[in-house]
Amino acid sequence: MSEAGRGFTVHGQATLPTLFRHVVRERGDAVAMREKDLGIWRAITWRQYGERARRAGLGLVGLGLRPGDVVSIIADNCPEWLYTDLGTLSVGGITNGIYTTDSPRQVEYIVNDSGTRFFFAENEEQLDKILEVRARCPQLVTIVVYDMEGLHAFRDPQVMDFAALLELGARYDREHPGAFDRMVEIPQPEDLATLVYTSGTTGPPKGAMLSHRNILFQLGYADFAAEPRPGDQQLSFLPLSHIAERTFTVFYPLRTGATVNFAESIDTVPENLREVAPAVFFAVPRIWEKFYSGVALRMRDATRLGRLAYRWAIGVGACVADHRLAGRRPPAGLRLLHRVADVLVLDNVKRSLGLHRARGAVTGAAPIAPDLIKWYMALGLDMREVYGQTENCGLATAMPADRIKLGSVGVARPDTEVRVARDGEILLRGPHVFMGYYKNPERTAQTIVDGWLHTGDVGELDAEGFLRITDRMKDIIITAGGKNVTPSEIENQLKFSPYITDAVVIGDQRKFLSCLVMLDPETVAQFAQERNVPFTNFASLCRAQEVQDLIWDEIERVNKQLARVETIKRFHLIEQILTPEDEELTPTMKLKRALVNRKYKDVIENMYLER
Amino acid sequence: MAEPLLVVSNVETYYGPIMAIRGVSFTVPRGGIVTILGANGAGKTTILKTVSGVMDPQKGTVTFAGRQIQGMDPDRVARLGLSHVPEGREVFPFLTVRENLAMGAFTRPDPGGVAQDTEMVYEYFPVLRARAEQRAGSLSGGEQQMLAISRALMARPAMMLLDEPSLGLSPRLVKEIFDIIVRINRERGVTVLLVEQNAHMALTIADYGYVLEVGRIVMEDTCARLLEKEDIKEFYLGIKETGVRGTRRWKRKKMWR
Repeated sequence: MSEAGRGFTVHGQATLPTLFRHVVRERGDAVAMREKDLGIWRAITWRQYGERARRAGLGLVGLGLRPGDVVSIIADNCPEWLYTDLGTLSVGGITNGIYTTDSPRQVEYIVNDSGTRFFFAENEEQLDKILEVRARCPQLVTIVVYDMEGLHAFRDPQVMDFAALLELGARYDREHPGAFDRMVEIPQPEDLATLVYTSGTTGPPKGAMLSHRNILFQLGYADFAAEPRPGDQQLSFLPLSHIAERTFTVFYPLRTGATVNFAESIDTVPENLREVAPAVFFAVPRIWEKFYSGVALRMRDATRLGRLAYRWAIGVGACVADHRLAGRRPPAGLRLLHRVADVLVLDNVKRSLGLHRARGAVTGAAPIAPDLIKWYMALGLDMREVYGQTENCGLATAMPADRIKLGSVGVARPDTEVRVARDGEILLRGPHVFMGYYKNPERTAQTIVDGWLHTGDVGELDAEGFLRITDRMKDIIITAGGKNVTPSEIENQLKFSPYITDAVVIGDQRKFLSCLVMLDPETVAQFAQERNVPFTNFASLCRAQEVQDLIWDEIERVNKQLARVETIKRFHLIEQILTPEDEELTPTMKLKRALVNRKYKDVIENMYLER
Repeated sequence: MAEPLLVVSNVETYYGPIMAIRGVSFTVPRGGIVTILGANGAGKTTILKTVSGVMDPQKGTVTFAGRQIQGMDPDRVARLGLSHVPEGREVFPFLTVRENLAMGAFTRPDPGGVAQDTEMVYEYFPVLRARAEQRAGSLSGGEQQMLAISRALMARPAMMLLDEPSLGLSPRLVKEIFDIIVRINRERGVTVLLVEQNAHMALTIADYGYVLEVGRIVMEDTCARLLEKEDIKEFYLGIKETGVRGTRRWKRKKMWR
């Protein structure tokens, strides 16, 4: 805890505005980010980044922003998001990201709960959400739109083009020389920097308050996955309203100088990844699972020789991974064999994914199957699992490089503490613990007790300090027979199947376990097509007997690894293709347990009928 | 629903290396009108060509009246009673209307029946009688479409595949032609598989519909129910809520439910 007393600095700076000003001066014409425009990656330098953020911030001041005012952004990842973010912070404002998949009603709730005075909308679609509800948002001053396409004829006294805001900022700068530098000095390390609304699975979302100190403290550990090198690339595609992507895209490069490349859309991530070939790649398990099933499926279509070569190479890789997992250095012969396997096969697999330059691969924000991590290790990727939550600014534990224990989420991040309470709840303490929930002292008092952050997760610490997460506290199932079951463990194993995107295990106060399954539409359609199983739409695919049998086989495979009371006896397929716009899914594509339990009440009851 | 006359099952069709139909299955009941909707390039025409034998599927089966016909030559398929009216009304421009009709009946050995059927199509489309000795190339677009349908009818098919009969026609003519398609279906018992971009017309006359997107079926239902779906309304019928500003340019994501 030595650092805690003297505060944290990155490049000698203690707040985000001063750090940003510092690195902009240092890096000048180096490339800060790239955005694809009409098929060509266009570079934006740190100087341009600094200039535009400064103008955005001063433009807001010109519109009447006062220090402590909240600025909300609803946009997919783009340079303007970052200009707005650091511009706002530089003039003492508070930034808050809203998920682009949120409905107008959710936007209204967050805008009012946070007291948002300035609202940034990506485009026409996002603008419509705020226009629909703005009559009920009395504190809202101005709405700024990044992309005016389709809005040229639209005039509204409360709505403004982002380009006009930048002009306003430039004029303010000319008329108030030196004002910006004074504003940059206003925020103190302990001050609130940003609000991050947590996607509550129950109840309305809560705004977690993160200070400059929280963020800079975490930046001090930013290089745990890989030592930064000049020219490093990264790809930005997960929602910036999530603390993990926000840290990775906005804050992390302030420390490392890596270039951020914005994916064109979520659908083009695989192509963009191959073009960018990032040095460090952060993704949620959902993405890692998709890559894996992509390779598994391609291998099924490969030639016999290709299949054999793949199986041999991944086998060699798995041997090397086993040695690493046991904490041993693989023998020289095996290492040589692994080199050969890499040159002949594994490197091609990595290239096809765009991960051949990745020195660090990080997974987090949701549980992942240990087998999947092992597969990536066999490929030769140094994949590390991290654990944390919004309330501790993202990262609480990480897998150390020298000692990997699969099934655990690693050890406490340096200068912080992890403890497991008597009831099994994981508690965290350290400079990463957030300031509390915005305007919600009761919830804050329930969450931070005597300096310990109560995570709501249940887990175990082993003798070496490795943390194993069992489940969310409120998710633990107690069957009618009184047996405690942790659903997420079973669900993770199910998700390892290329045919299953997500699953929710059910069985609280029931005689046996059952589960709702969300299929992967692509792989299951391919399966049906290979077997000549006729189907038309997704529902008919789900109902096909062969598909039902396929999923049952996958469940049986998992059942074999479970205790008898924990086996799944029945299942039901969700007959709709769900998207993040659906209330059933979180923005990171996880099924929301409580909601799914409620919404599919009838089919769940049906699974428990006597047959 | 009656027993299906046409059963298409897991069909995949390629243009060189490009998979145009990515596993399509559907059925057409005897005596029914079924429509396949889809945007440009969705693969509608390719499906019809695969059914009529113009293209061969790489995979899957096409069963017509209990007989597998995938990969069969188009003339043999036509002899089995399946007539294809291609897109763009490909009539023989230098033959007269009467000769075009005679070409449609080339498979038939009974001159008496042919004469009778010629009368029948003149009943349906009186304008063709007036133009009987005129070269088909000199007909208007609507008349050529009528001729193409009539020529297909001359083979006394059990089933007709109609590829965008409304293409390039005035709204009045479209209505006229669709009315006659319904009459042919009712009066002659000809089963119809209709591919259309004019979703409103197609859904009005058909009993059952499939929606095709990039080579796959994403939705199927009775036409009455399809007309009520949000996605159909917005993407195929052009009906959408205008939103708070009175104009809306952005498109909702298609959900197909």
